[in-house]
Amino acid sequence: MDIELIGRSLRDNLLTPIPMCFALGIFSKLIHGGIKIPKEFYYAISIYLLMSIGIIGGHELAHEYQAHGVTTIWKPALMTLLLGCLTPLSAYAVLRYIGKLSIADAAGIAAHYGSTSAVTFIVANDYVGNQNVAVDAYLPTLVTILECPGIAIALIIGAVGMSMQKRAESTARSNGLDDDDEHKGKLWEALHEVLTGQSLMLMVGLLVIGFISTLVMPADKFQVFEQFFYNKNMIFRGALCIFLLEMGLVTGERLGDLLKVGPFLVAFGIIMPLIHGFVGCYLGKMAGMSLGGCAVLGAIVSSASYIAAPPAVRLTLPEANPTLSMTAALGITFPFNIAIGIPIYFWMAQMVGAPMVAKEAKPPSLMVPAVSKPAADKAGEAKPVEAKH
Amino acid sequence: MQLHTLKKVTIVTEDSLKNELKRKICELGASGFTCREVQGYGSRGARSDAFASNVEFEVICPEAVAHAILTFVSHHYFEQYACIAWLSDVQVVRGARYAEPVGTTP
Repeated sequence: MDIELIGRSLRDNLLTPIPMCFALGIFSKLIHGGIKIPKEFYYAISIYLLMSIGIIGGHELAHEYQAHGVTTIWKPALMTLLLGCLTPLSAYAVLRYIGKLSIADAAGIAAHYGSTSAVTFIVANDYVGNQNVAVDAYLPTLVTILECPGIAIALIIGAVGMSMQKRAESTARSNGLDDDDEHKGKLWEALHEVLTGQSLMLMVGLLVIGFISTLVMPADKFQVFEQFFYNKNMIFRGALCIFLLEMGLVTGERLGDLLKVGPFLVAFGIIMPLIHGFVGCYLGKMAGMSLGGCAVLGAIVSSASYIAAPPAVRLTLPEANPTLSMTAALGITFPFNIAIGIPIYFWMAQMVGAPMVAKEAKPPSLMVPAVSKPAADKAGEAKPVEAKH
Repeated sequence: MQLHTLKKVTIVTEDSLKNELKRKICELGASGFTCREVQGYGSRGARSDAFASNVEFEVICPEAVAHAILTFVSHHYFEQYACIAWLSDVQVVRGARYAEPVGTTP
């Protein structure tokens, strides 16, 4: 019965425009098709999406705050911080001691898996919403908490490990200390770049703006902004389709690298997110989050960063091979999560017994036989693309 | 018209090094630089999408500064980053303009 449930939710997830646009992007790259999203347009869309998560997240956080104060928020926030510190350690341990990767490669990949992917968050949020299950209002806040500590911890492990290794290799080298200082300077610079980078600044900035303005402005005045950034998902989902199409193109470009990275990393890119996702769902439930919240938390904890982490790793751990981390994060884990992972985290959240909160008092669609959705109907004509995927 | 012969250093490298290189070029005594985003393909694969792009720096400067920049780049970047660099002769009108270090760092 559970298998049937997973199968149905997989179909409900896959045969919707957002994953199928992603598949179309991959397909287009595989057959050397002509789809091309201009870089500046892609940046514009990603700015819109990040601002949108931020301001709507802040708006909802303000409502939560008005209703319950900080009582419902502090536990999930603390749990997320804990998860952000745990995931780079577990990823590093698996890569270094089971995968036998070098210190730099293991730490570099761990930095990607310790951080999170905002797009995975958006898609997971959307998926849970489609199941008519409510999502906790503070989740966008959790995304911003999760973004940074994982990168910092993995980079510190890498920097310390590398300098210990270097010292062991040549204890007599006179410039050992200079190297250490240089490493420290670069680490600081990389962390500064993550903290002040576009994705985190836009998200945190708009979160604060959304929070303050909701508390201060009359609700009908704020509605204008809500309409531009969200509008009951209308503009938002359309923008997400374009974004995922570009992500598909980028992923398709990298599929060839899958052969280069070897079976261990492919398995890592699928199994590690499942483990992290389960821990996320479980700890989310411990922190008192609802079903939708646990599922989304599982998805963001499992996801790997491919925007904030790569430049930071490149700067601090130049010895790490970027092909390994980018292929794992973008070529394996991201498509896995978008296509299959998110319904699995939803199922995991049900398994750990997270309490369900229905969205807008409608019956959750997972509990009743799947009603045919307009999205699934539209999907019919693009089926060959899905088959390739 | 009086023309002055100077050197031009061109560096093509990874986007993530942009800030460091901007600062380094000025510290090493250049009077300024031009940089732009570029795309390419080489021993480190395609470097042409939003997740792996290149940046090109052009610096017009006296020979000593040019050598200092090339030395820095070859020591710090050649081994572990996608990076190429070359030196060429250029003729400029206002020779003195390029001799003075910019002083501030970007």
